[in-house]
Amino acid sequence: MSLKNVYVAKTLDEVLNLLNQYGCESKLIAGGTDVIIQLREKEISPKVLVDISNLSEINFIDESEDKITIGACTTFTTIAESSILKDKLKGLVQSAESVGSPQIRNAATIGGNICNASMAADIVPPLLALDAEVLIESKAGKRRILLDHFLMGKGKVDIKPEEIVTAITFNKPKNREALGFGKLGLRKALAIARISTAIYLSLDEENTCRKIRIANGAVGFRGMREKEVENIFIGKQLTEDVINMGIEKLREELNQRLAGRSSAEFKTTAIAGIFKKALLETANNCKE
Amino acid sequence: MKDINLKINGKSYRLSTNEDMRLIDVLRDELGLLGSKEGCGEGECGACTILMEGRTVNACMVMAFQTDEKEIITIEGLSNGEQLHPIQQAFIEIGAVQCGFCTPGMILSAKAILDKDTNPTREMIRQGISGNLCRCTGYAKIVDAIELAGKLLRNGGNNCEA
Repeated sequence: MSLKNVYVAKTLDEVLNLLNQYGCESKLIAGGTDVIIQLREKEISPKVLVDISNLSEINFIDESEDKITIGACTTFTTIAESSILKDKLKGLVQSAESVGSPQIRNAATIGGNICNASMAADIVPPLLALDAEVLIESKAGKRRILLDHFLMGKGKVDIKPEEIVTAITFNKPKNREALGFGKLGLRKALAIARISTAIYLSLDEENTCRKIRIANGAVGFRGMREKEVENIFIGKQLTEDVINMGIEKLREELNQRLAGRSSAEFKTTAIAGIFKKALLETANNCKE
Repeated sequence: MKDINLKINGKSYRLSTNEDMRLIDVLRDELGLLGSKEGCGEGECGACTILMEGRTVNACMVMAFQTDEKEIITIEGLSNGEQLHPIQQAFIEIGAVQCGFCTPGMILSAKAILDKDTNPTREMIRQGISGNLCRCTGYAKIVDAIELAGKLLRNGGNNCEA
């Protein structure tokens, strides 16, 4: 057994000190739903485990005038039940509700989902569509980075061994803006996303798309923005024709990205339905 | 070794555990609480579901040292001596148990549902047990049993005749 020491951290300071001391010999554990599997399959073999699941300092959902900040140790159950994150941010709630099972949602955290960097991470597409930033701390100081830059690839994020993600922050939707989400799994509960999509939309009174950010999960080596598709929509009215043009572009993008994979044909077909449903729901939510 | 204080089913235990032990290992191998089952060992099947601080978690997905000072309830903590808990009584009454492997976890998920609301809809029940796999019953009788358990709890007992 490589594991020599385990700590239950009570304060963020304690965590920063431990990370500073042990660096790459240490691993943080919060909900444990990914880390414990990795430990048992010997994908990771840290000498020190630092439990951060009791850190109330980074377990919060905070709303200011124009921003929402979610502490990294906030569980999916807390996100799904939050009174701050409903209505215009329904997409975030739906994605949290779609994670695993009640047992998993009671333990697993938003910070863990991001740092584990699965290509199918449920919370990543909505956060990318929100253009969220990741707040990171170490003993040396704090930094913030766009989630889009933080995610480097499958299982890879831009974090140093002595750093910890403390929170995720994004702008609150304004009038006639909303976030939507859609997911296709093999079944309803405990399903790894085969495709997930998130759409942040801003519509004016004439149903014209002022802003749109689209992000998909499980159709690339990480959750990613679909900027080419976004360009189809910007400045145009959301008519049936424009939506179909957008879907065509999306399928083109996926076709390129998934070329050679056995799932390519299924995914490029299925994305049309998932995306259209999520887009129409988001557009309706903008108008409410 | 790591010393931890466990509060399981209202009893306190002080234990020295290996750093790499999970809660399910401590429950079964150290304390002999064999009600919680280990099925898949990766959070899919829910057979090891227990209540920690009132919420369901998979005991295979929690490291033992993380449960220091936490309030834990396992299936062994539900009955009051010979007196079965209304949920247990309802599972027997309806015939919601076949092989029984999923039953302890299923009953604790049922408890979490009914602790929130003793009159849940069938959809709420299905959602609440969506992390517990049963390969025997087809779930219908389990949902029936949880409905009956809600009724028993609302009537304040476990008399199925009433």
